[in-house]
Amino acid sequence: MDNKGSNGREEILELANNLRWEIGVDFHDKLMESIYENAATIAARSVSTPDKEAVFSFDKKLDKILTSPVFGFPIMFVVLAVVFWLTVVGANYPSSFLASILIDEFHPVLKSFSLSIGFPGWLSGLLIDGGYLSMAWVIAVMLPPMAIFFPLFTLLEDFGYLPRVAFNMDNLYKKAGAHGKQALTMAMGFGCNAAGVIASRVIDSPRERLIAIITNNFSLCNGRWPTQILIATIFIGGAVPAYLAGIVSAAAVVGIAVLGVVLSLIVSWTLSKTVLKGEASAFSLELPPYRPPRILQTLYTSLIDRTLIVLWRAVVFAFPAGLVIWLVANVNIGGESIASVFINWSDPFAILLGLNGVILLAYIIAIPANEIVIPTILMLTVLVTGLTDFGHGTGVMFEANSTEVTAEILKAGGWTLLTGVNLMIFSLLHNPCSTTLLTIFKETRSVKWTVVSALLPLALGFTVTFFVAQIWRLIAGF
Amino acid sequence: MIDPLTSLIIGFSVILLLVIIFYPGKGLVARFKKNKANTYRVLIEDSLKHLYNCEYNGINCTLNSIAGSLSISADEAAKVAAKLEELGLVVSNENGLSLTPDGRAYALKVIRIHRLWEKYLADETSIGEEDWHHSAEEIEHQMTLAEADKLAAQIGNPVFDPHGDPIPTAKGDLPGKKGKSLDSMKIGEFAKIIHIEDEPHYIYSQLVAEGLYPGMQVQLIESTKERIKFLANGEEVVLAPLFAKNITVAPIKDERKIEGTFKKLSSLKPGEKGKVLGISRRCRGQQRRRLMDLGVVPGTEIEVELESIGGDPIAYRIKGATIALRKSQAENIYIESEE
Amino acid sequence: MNVMMKDNCETCPVHNLGNLKKLGINMNDFDFVVALAGNPNTGKSTVFNNLTGLKQHTGNWPGKTVTRAEGGFEYNGFKFKLVDLPGTYSLLSTSTDEEVARDFILFGQPDVTVIVVDATRLERNLNLVLQVLEITDRAVLCLNLIDEAERHKIKVDERQLSKDLGIPVIPTAARLKTGMDKLSNAIYEVASGKYVCKPYRIKTKIKELNYAIETLSKKISEVYPQVTNVRWIALRLLEGDQSIIDAVKSGDLGTIKEIKHEIDGQSLETELTA
Repeated sequence: MDNKGSNGREEILELANNLRWEIGVDFHDKLMESIYENAATIAARSVSTPDKEAVFSFDKKLDKILTSPVFGFPIMFVVLAVVFWLTVVGANYPSSFLASILIDEFHPVLKSFSLSIGFPGWLSGLLIDGGYLSMAWVIAVMLPPMAIFFPLFTLLEDFGYLPRVAFNMDNLYKKAGAHGKQALTMAMGFGCNAAGVIASRVIDSPRERLIAIITNNFSLCNGRWPTQILIATIFIGGAVPAYLAGIVSAAAVVGIAVLGVVLSLIVSWTLSKTVLKGEASAFSLELPPYRPPRILQTLYTSLIDRTLIVLWRAVVFAFPAGLVIWLVANVNIGGESIASVFINWSDPFAILLGLNGVILLAYIIAIPANEIVIPTILMLTVLVTGLTDFGHGTGVMFEANSTEVTAEILKAGGWTLLTGVNLMIFSLLHNPCSTTLLTIFKETRSVKWTVVSALLPLALGFTVTFFVAQIWRLIAGF
Repeated sequence: MIDPLTSLIIGFSVILLLVIIFYPGKGLVARFKKNKANTYRVLIEDSLKHLYNCEYNGINCTLNSIAGSLSISADEAAKVAAKLEELGLVVSNENGLSLTPDGRAYALKVIRIHRLWEKYLADETSIGEEDWHHSAEEIEHQMTLAEADKLAAQIGNPVFDPHGDPIPTAKGDLPGKKGKSLDSMKIGEFAKIIHIEDEPHYIYSQLVAEGLYPGMQVQLIESTKERIKFLANGEEVVLAPLFAKNITVAPIKDERKIEGTFKKLSSLKPGEKGKVLGISRRCRGQQRRRLMDLGVVPGTEIEVELESIGGDPIAYRIKGATIALRKSQAENIYIESEE
Repeated sequence: MNVMMKDNCETCPVHNLGNLKKLGINMNDFDFVVALAGNPNTGKSTVFNNLTGLKQHTGNWPGKTVTRAEGGFEYNGFKFKLVDLPGTYSLLSTSTDEEVARDFILFGQPDVTVIVVDATRLERNLNLVLQVLEITDRAVLCLNLIDEAERHKIKVDERQLSKDLGIPVIPTAARLKTGMDKLSNAIYEVASGKYVCKPYRIKTKIKELNYAIETLSKKISEVYPQVTNVRWIALRLLEGDQSIIDAVKSGDLGTIKEIKHEIDGQSLETELTA
């Protein structure tokens, strides 16, 4: 064979090329047609179907209801609302349980143990107050909501409801140059952006998939809801009469989430008209038959597949970030901690945005998870204001026992209503957490798109907060 | 602290400036990139391409035709021709200019990149048909052959561009000319469009506007000096003979000949059924393959099953599965309706 | 006896070790490699989980199994490695999923390829089945969701189907775990050569297509006489598949040889009965 060698090989390729010219452009079409013709012949010999009308009548009826102009959207909103409600309410108890064990109980134990075996103070501070605490915090606040949200979502998926949601939403997303399935990745993003990014796999057209990945961060994720609720309660609820406080602050939070959805559509549209204009786009969506979900298996697999993968990525980042948090608060340069130096330096810029240096630093060092932003802000505020009645020591993140105490600390840090509003906006519009960024990189395999996903919302956040602050001050007559 | 009004003004100015610099297509960055194109190389390569086209179509090429095709003066054309001869790419003889083997290879290289790029744009991107040629005219002077080979491998080593022209191989092979022009058909004859010439642009854009594309089935109805009348996929089209000359057709071999007007899948109402006749050639690349993978091939029965809330997309029953298609896709699927 | 059989088998060149290694498959401690192919929404992952006992979630969406899942199972004293390929509608398009599946079946030369189909929509699924049968001679058809088909009063004559396709056809209901043992047995019989497949090959009425495929196949057979799925190679060349072009150019095509099961299978069989 080898003596025929490369000549023969070249001849094969040349012949193939000539034949392709001979057949013309329709080769693939004709081949597919032939294969289906064969398939039909074979199937006809072995398959016998009854009266066609009876087939899948249940599916048809259910589909008629779920996609009807009258019931379609209400059903969708109710289903999603129930999922979110179950997640938020259901996660409270296990979260506080985990927090009390990992933070309130185990943290002091670890601390005294490390001292008893002769750890120097700085080392136990670094490892336990920094690394361990940040990790414990991430697990306590992240695990329960995800362990509830993902299985519920997976059940809907297995049943076959989610493809119908994509089917109904496609019209809206098509106008934004995106795929209907982006509605699902966005909903998933409300649970966790990293999971939302992974879920974008279901979109098989590369352009639409990229749009879904880049805009997923505009879904207000689980880690950001508590921040929104806390700040809205303190500042927005505090700015209106007491009997309106609850409803106004709730409306503010929902408003931020809706703003996120609107922005995700606008950004999708802009991307599809500019940088992603040339990318190919294709649409295909199969509506599979409804199948009863297998509850136990779903619980098990979604825990393994989604929750633990995401949690693991977060924990991996949380530990080193905890070290950094502790270090910036404890390492001194010229008598001042790195944190104070940075905060003083960045304050003028931050104030231009209606924020402050503490917030900027908190968002930089709390990049592993949005969940630890508030504890970091509190710790840093106590550090720079020199308050002594709060917290557990320099560089130790903490959460106040009550909203009032938190409000007291923040107001001591110079926070105003504007700071509160802009923090809520910035919490929606800033770079994704490191877990999500890593996931984006793993999914796109592209540094460029990862950077875009990080900088685009950040730039948007700076712009929006800047204009809000300036217009606010102009009106307030500063 | 800076006065809020001042900072607002500064803020707006910065955004305006960024828009001016980066605005796609018209911004400073985009303009700078456009101007960077190397004009000298472009002239050389374009004239080689022109000479090759003359050779392929069996016409004689002169300095004047070069000047005309490149829209440059006769003096400039002469300079370019002299340079080409100096480089050993062209020889002049009594019939005008002709390519040397080196010149031919060079021209084929440029043509390969041009056609590959058009194919790439047509199949793999959502760039509109009217922009392909223009974009390829730029790319052909910038891409190296190695890059072109890589691109070809990515898109399945195509052998035809979207206009139906064969793409030269990496070695520079190209098949001979096939088919005949539309105006030379006999009355009543069936044929298939295999090529639509994309130059000059004003004729091409007119043909595209008529909805003509390679792969369409045509049947000649009337042929006079003033006009050529024919059915294209069932719909009547009238063209001036000058325009019809730019369409190349080939006889239909094994396909079903389709008479009468095509119906589009998008015209069916829920509960109605149809049998697929074919997918429009305008549906290309991955999009087209995906439709066929889902079972949309000639002969398949499709039933409209379900409308989404907004009426688009619509779910169809195709070979036992429920598949949602957007209206824009359903418009590209031709059917004959059934009772 | 178990040990002896294994030793015997390790020396026989049943699978294509070199290429499998290239594809990242570790074949230590395994006797046969089995690929699992199928359309999306056919319950392929349930079949995978039932055979291997591994829990793996794949939703209703195509493209879910982007990273390849692998697992193992034992049957009749042989160890099988099961590789779950991405769920695809076809193997002829250009998506990554299809490339992974197609290249694995062609270059990996699994000992058996199990094709999972939805019994309620057999015709549409046969598209993929016929394509797989062009690539490999050793396949098993897993006629899944047979319970759903019964509920909808769809009857599939699996004997007729098996006769037409030339491969074993096993009706299963993976969700209910029915038919899995028969499936394992069929995999084993094909892998060991007890069952010799005579796979259906695509026929076309279109003359130019036939002419092109025949001409090119003949040429390939001249240069690579040991390659038996020349028609598939020809088809792919006519579609401009770069990985096949590269394999032809580099001569790698020569290393994927179809194993003559009549010979190996026989020796294996005699050992089994001994």
